[in-house]
Amino acid sequence: MMSQRRGIHVDQSELLCKKGCGFYGNTAWQGLCSKCWREVNQREKQRQIQEDWALAERLQREEEEAYASRHQRAQSQPAITPFNKFEERKTKVKSSKVNTVTKFFTPSIKTPPKKDAGPFDTQSTPSPSSSASRQSTLDSDRAAREFIDFLKPVKSGREIFKQCRAFTESMVYKRDMGADELSESVQDFYQNLSERLQSQFKGSSELVEKVMDEVEKYMMTRLYTEVFCPETTDDEKKDLAIQKRIRDLHWVTIAMLCVPVDEEIPEVSDSVVKAITDIIEMDSKQVPKDKLACITRCSKHIFNAIKVSKKEAASADDFLPTLIYIVLKANPPRLQSNIQYITRFCNPSRLMTGEDGYYFTNLCCAVAFIEKLDGQSLNMSSEEFELYMSGQTSPHWPQPTAASSSSGTAALTQVHNSLDLLTGLGERQERVIEKARQLESDLIDWTDEVEQEVQSALESFPLETQNTTANTASGTASASLSAIDSENIENEQLPPPLQPQMFAG
Amino acid sequence: MKSFFTENTIGAAFVAKPIQVGDKVITLGIWDTAGSERYEAMSRIYYRGARAAVVCYDLTDSSSFQRAKFWVKELQNCEELCKIYLCGTKSDVIEGDRSLRQIDYHDAQDFTEEIGAQYFETSSKTGKNVDELFQKVAEDYNSTAFQFMTEETGVDLGQKKDSYFYTCCHNN
Repeated sequence: MMSQRRGIHVDQSELLCKKGCGFYGNTAWQGLCSKCWREVNQREKQRQIQEDWALAERLQREEEEAYASRHQRAQSQPAITPFNKFEERKTKVKSSKVNTVTKFFTPSIKTPPKKDAGPFDTQSTPSPSSSASRQSTLDSDRAAREFIDFLKPVKSGREIFKQCRAFTESMVYKRDMGADELSESVQDFYQNLSERLQSQFKGSSELVEKVMDEVEKYMMTRLYTEVFCPETTDDEKKDLAIQKRIRDLHWVTIAMLCVPVDEEIPEVSDSVVKAITDIIEMDSKQVPKDKLACITRCSKHIFNAIKVSKKEAASADDFLPTLIYIVLKANPPRLQSNIQYITRFCNPSRLMTGEDGYYFTNLCCAVAFIEKLDGQSLNMSSEEFELYMSGQTSPHWPQPTAASSSSGTAALTQVHNSLDLLTGLGERQERVIEKARQLESDLIDWTDEVEQEVQSALESFPLETQNTTANTASGTASASLSAIDSENIENEQLPPPLQPQMFAG
Repeated sequence: MKSFFTENTIGAAFVAKPIQVGDKVITLGIWDTAGSERYEAMSRIYYRGARAAVVCYDLTDSSSFQRAKFWVKELQNCEELCKIYLCGTKSDVIEGDRSLRQIDYHDAQDFTEEIGAQYFETSSKTGKNVDELFQKVAEDYNSTAFQFMTEETGVDLGQKKDSYFYTCCHNN
């Protein structure tokens, strides 16, 4: 065959798929055609994923075993149930982290590899088996049961359930669609269904709302793992970015943000802690409505804190800075993912109107503020801001009385006290070291001095020395002995030694 | 009715207020937003999709009127469908001592006409004109709702108001 073009000769056989299926291959796909490449690539990827899961599971098992053996005694005590609960959440988070790690391992997130595997593979093996996905299947089973129970007394409930299930299942296979498209189709579904229900229930909007809530709960519990922080978006990157940003902003104080909250009052600090807990808890919920409820609860605690501190009603000018402060203190896990997830899959009427929508909007504002935060928004120069951000300095802690009365929980003041103590100790240690050095040099000087004196003494009394050496006849010790003798100035004043005398007789 | 706005809701940044318009009940979702300059950049997030905005300023503080003008411009730029209501607050103070008024009624009225808005002077202390203001908001929404909505499903109105009666624009 003549496949000559502009002087480049390529043999026809080189262009064909290496698997010999008769289609053209591509160097980018290791000389395979698109179909064969997908097969090969898919298998490899699947193997990789399974290996990763196995590794992750083993690691987790080991960790859990180690933990269990260490804490067996503690867990047998009944008094610490809240702590157990916390631990449970922690392990849950841990498992989801494992999930993230595997995501890093799977190469080329952008090219959707699961597309073809979708309808066939996912049916037989839902997803790489793991404790997390098993948990989610359990959750969605329970959600389905509850949904059915709820719909039983509702007119044409069967029909509603069938539609929701069909739509949800179809969504599972569309997961590599862009997040915006996914969101759009879910929102369309919500709207169509609610319109139909509206006409069906003759405008009993309360019932429609209730049904829609249940629909959302059922669908999103089922779809959570697929559509929360999907690989097609950069949600995860944004999560990490905001997390790092908040960490870098650790030095921001209540006074800089003009937060009208006095944490010295026990009730206020209690509310602050509750607000922080609520906003962190948001990540553990699956249904958008439940996540919103966490935000609303957090906001209510904030309002309480302001009300108690100011002893008067709070306005948005008080609320927003306090919310920003709470978000900075809490650094809620996967903040951006959660916001995106709620925006994409929550019933739109809830976000536009109602209390939940209002507080959610405030949270979005708080996050936007934190992202854009600069020196000006904290009433400081940009140089100062940069210094703090780079960690070179930090605003001086004990910022006399004013700060300590307005900010500082007991723990914080304690930390400051210890810090002060430590700096004091450091100074003292330095002084000790300096003194020690001085002592050392003094000692050296002293020995030098002594040596010099000895030398000079030796030089001034050379004869005596010789005498004594001869007398004592002990070689090595002679020097020191003679030195002692040489110093013996009284020698000269002694009467001359007795001479032997002859007595005739 | 009066007590609804003057007592129960002070300190609530969000209020869902049902208002009777003809034979219908329209529920206004009233949002308080932070008016301080610090949060200017974020304010768009608040009034996205809002159908009415009450921009408040302090009748005894001319600088707050300048801030109010800023917000009006901002709203006009970002939300075409949003109807604007200009609201001078603390009218009770002025009634007590007329010399305290810093923004002339006619100046405010002229400005309002210029921007195609409605003008109210209210007092959160006595509750004067507050109900009238929100009644007007609800009525206007009701009459425009037919133009924009194919089906009269949404009785809810994402309505936004700059700070609770007194907060927003008068501080700076």
